[in-house]
Amino acid sequence: MSMMHASQVNDAKPTGATVPPTATLMRWVIIATLPGIATMSYFFGLGVLSNVVLAAAFGLAFEAAVLRLRRRPLRSTLNDSSALLTGVLLGVSLPPASPWWLIGVGMIAAIVVAKQLYGGLGQNPFNPAMVGYALLLVSFPTYMTLWAPPQGLLPSGLWAQIAGRLPTAQLDSLSGATPLDAFKHKGEAVLASEFWATNPLPDGALSAWRWVALAWLAGGLLLVFKRIISWHIPVAMLSSMLLLATLFYLSDPSHFASPLFHLLTGAALFGAFFIATDPVSAASSRRGKLIYGAGIGALVIIIRTFGGYPDAVAFAVLLMNLCVPLLDIYSVPRPTGHESPPGEQP
Amino acid sequence: MPSAFDFPGGIHPPERKQRSNQATLIDAALPSRVTLPLQQHSGQPATPCVTQGDQVKVGSMIAKREGMISSDVHASLSGVVTEVSATHISIEGDGHDTWQRLPSIDWQYEKPAVLLERLNESGIVGLGGAGFPTHIKARVVEHHAIHTLVMNAAECEPYITADDLTLRHYSSEVLEGAQIIARLCGAKNIVIGIEDNKPEAIEALKQALSLNQANGQPIDVELKVIPTRYPSGGERQLIKKLLDLNVPSGGLPADVGVLCHNPGTLLAVLYAVRDGQPLVSRVVTLTGEAIAQPGNRWVRLGTSVRGLLEQAGLNTLALNQVIQGGPMMGSPLLTPDTPVTKLTNCLIAATLEELPPAPPESPCIRCGECESVCPVALLPQQLHWYARAEDDKQLERYHLFDCIECGACSYVCPSQIALVDDYRDAKHRLRQQRIEATKAEHAKHRFEFRQARIAREEVEKQARKEARQAQSRRTPSSSAAASSGEVDLRGLRIAHAAAKASVRKAEKNLARVAQQDPQQPLDDLETQLATAKENLNAAELQLAQAQQQPTPTPAPSPSQESP
Repeated sequence: MSMMHASQVNDAKPTGATVPPTATLMRWVIIATLPGIATMSYFFGLGVLSNVVLAAAFGLAFEAAVLRLRRRPLRSTLNDSSALLTGVLLGVSLPPASPWWLIGVGMIAAIVVAKQLYGGLGQNPFNPAMVGYALLLVSFPTYMTLWAPPQGLLPSGLWAQIAGRLPTAQLDSLSGATPLDAFKHKGEAVLASEFWATNPLPDGALSAWRWVALAWLAGGLLLVFKRIISWHIPVAMLSSMLLLATLFYLSDPSHFASPLFHLLTGAALFGAFFIATDPVSAASSRRGKLIYGAGIGALVIIIRTFGGYPDAVAFAVLLMNLCVPLLDIYSVPRPTGHESPPGEQP
Repeated sequence: MPSAFDFPGGIHPPERKQRSNQATLIDAALPSRVTLPLQQHSGQPATPCVTQGDQVKVGSMIAKREGMISSDVHASLSGVVTEVSATHISIEGDGHDTWQRLPSIDWQYEKPAVLLERLNESGIVGLGGAGFPTHIKARVVEHHAIHTLVMNAAECEPYITADDLTLRHYSSEVLEGAQIIARLCGAKNIVIGIEDNKPEAIEALKQALSLNQANGQPIDVELKVIPTRYPSGGERQLIKKLLDLNVPSGGLPADVGVLCHNPGTLLAVLYAVRDGQPLVSRVVTLTGEAIAQPGNRWVRLGTSVRGLLEQAGLNTLALNQVIQGGPMMGSPLLTPDTPVTKLTNCLIAATLEELPPAPPESPCIRCGECESVCPVALLPQQLHWYARAEDDKQLERYHLFDCIECGACSYVCPSQIALVDDYRDAKHRLRQQRIEATKAEHAKHRFEFRQARIAREEVEKQARKEARQAQSRRTPSSSAAASSGEVDLRGLRIAHAAAKASVRKAEKNLARVAQQDPQQPLDDLETQLATAKENLNAAELQLAQAQQQPTPTPAPSPSQESP
């Protein structure tokens, strides 16, 4: 019986990893999203913040409702902040000032279906936020692919959100496109150089996305530094993205996007540090995590390049979630004193 | 820095050794009475050999070892035996502290058998906490060649400083004890493994070593200082770290030619051999925030924990629990009115603040921290699921029984899951199942023996009857032949040969197991052998009987019959 617990000692040596309790882990991840949320709000308006608030509120409400139905303790489970985190993560993934019902539907898919129906925290095979996102993306493509152009903190979009409509500014499809989207739909015949020459994006869009990506990176590094997440998944995912993107780019720079473009637009850095690192739906061994991360990175580039969707973090994560049980079986270490890992025993 | 290899995982919990390693090692006050449990070691409890009212001296044997793995118990106080129960013997002290010692042995020249007997009659067991009888451990040389004796001075658990202080005060004595054991088991090297958080003990060892070098010691000693990391003091982990040898799963260090001993045990060995002093006292670390004078004490076995802690200034109001052993692998005492035994290396009088109870556990979030700290490279998380699901097949497949219960996984778990408790429960359940299965198997074998015996008696009866009939008829006429005309001689010969083969097989099995593991009870294999012998007797009889019968039909030629 161990009577010492990392979360309860404050005099451990600095060399020793002290692991905070689950609720604290979740709260740290939420804190680490703040730079990203702030930067996004700065560039895309208050609609980002209202998304997050709405999604988090839906998350807590749905979690409480299901816990009540399942006759599970309410307070202790809500206190673990996992539903709150799922809300925050889905909130920032949606176009700013999305209609309230869109967010609600997404959170039902995330909390009720992907998480609680599987047994709650720790039991869900798929990343709840990404299940919500993917469902919305395939069900409401119009609402999901139009991003507001970089704008000030205008409240007009907020009214549309409450009324459940698309903000008028976003109806113009060109102005609402993300850089990945625009590049995707440039057409086969158009060379990359010609595409960039047409100045296809609204003013400042590219730099706005880059700043947002760097903000996510900052939050992610905080998590790694605080040992809230291990480095394995982000490093593996980003390296495999870079590697594959570089290969494509070198093979034909006129048609494929540059590696840096892949890394700094879309959800690459956000996904690497905040989505793929969800421990519940990720592989658990170190080797498994490396394979898992690398798989996500490769799928992101492949889907972005050859698939029907401009960005692919959600699908890549969900596809690799599918592989986790297999990874967990075949990436196990060899126990001390044995010749082979347990998976290969007769 | 000497070369060091590595074991996987490990953690750095707060050490909290400062509290008890500042004071010097002193004798605890002589208790007025002691209570000596009959089981202070792994294996069978000892059998009392004194009765109530007997006068005993310090060192008098009061309970004799019982069975193969067991250990003698000696009086740790001179006085009168006041109680002999099924579990313990109590002695009321007379205050004189008179001793009864065995003659001194010059270990350099005496035969190993004499040394071995001395360890046996001194009741010495491993003092690191496991309590395995030392003389049994020394006897592994009968089956394994030992090349290295490892002195396990890592003392990796937080709080405990008993080995540290023992080495600071008695380094040359401990080294001499190591030489005795090394000579006994034929080791060519002695390697000392010690964590780098014990600079004073390391210095003391270095001085003792240089002194010994000057005097010329029989067996080479190497001091290896290793970085502090829990659980480097685990036997397998230390052997991996010091010698880069992997003790096979389910095996012993002896399988890779290594024997591991704790400094305290080696000191006890020296005292037993040089001074003829049986194991009647040991060094105990008294620590925790609830006592005012923490430190290490020489404590007579059987001393009450409460008395000992009170001597050290126990604050009963601040006390939350008394932990025997370290905070990682030790266990809370149900009551402080328990005696110190050969296994008590540390007593922590803990306040609620210093070792708070674990908060309620939350669901496993599969973070994998447990796996990254497991020193055996097991999958604690998978074992946790399977243990809760009672999936025994998977538990065995994921090597539940390789778990050393170090608690590193429980320590890091962010969901505060009591993983080691799960594993202990599962191990207990599986062991129970194995015992039940063996019992059923043995019952089946006994039943088979009974059936075979009845069958043999039946055959004998039949044979006698037929012999009588044949005699009364006088004439070996055709009627007798006709009655047994269908006797299948060929079938009987095959049965006879098969019975003979199974007797040989049972004999071989018995011999193999008896040689491999002399400790193992052999009743079941003997039953199986007896069954085979009964079957053989019956077959022989039947065959002989059939061969006596004149057969009307020509029997097949013997050459064709041989199976």
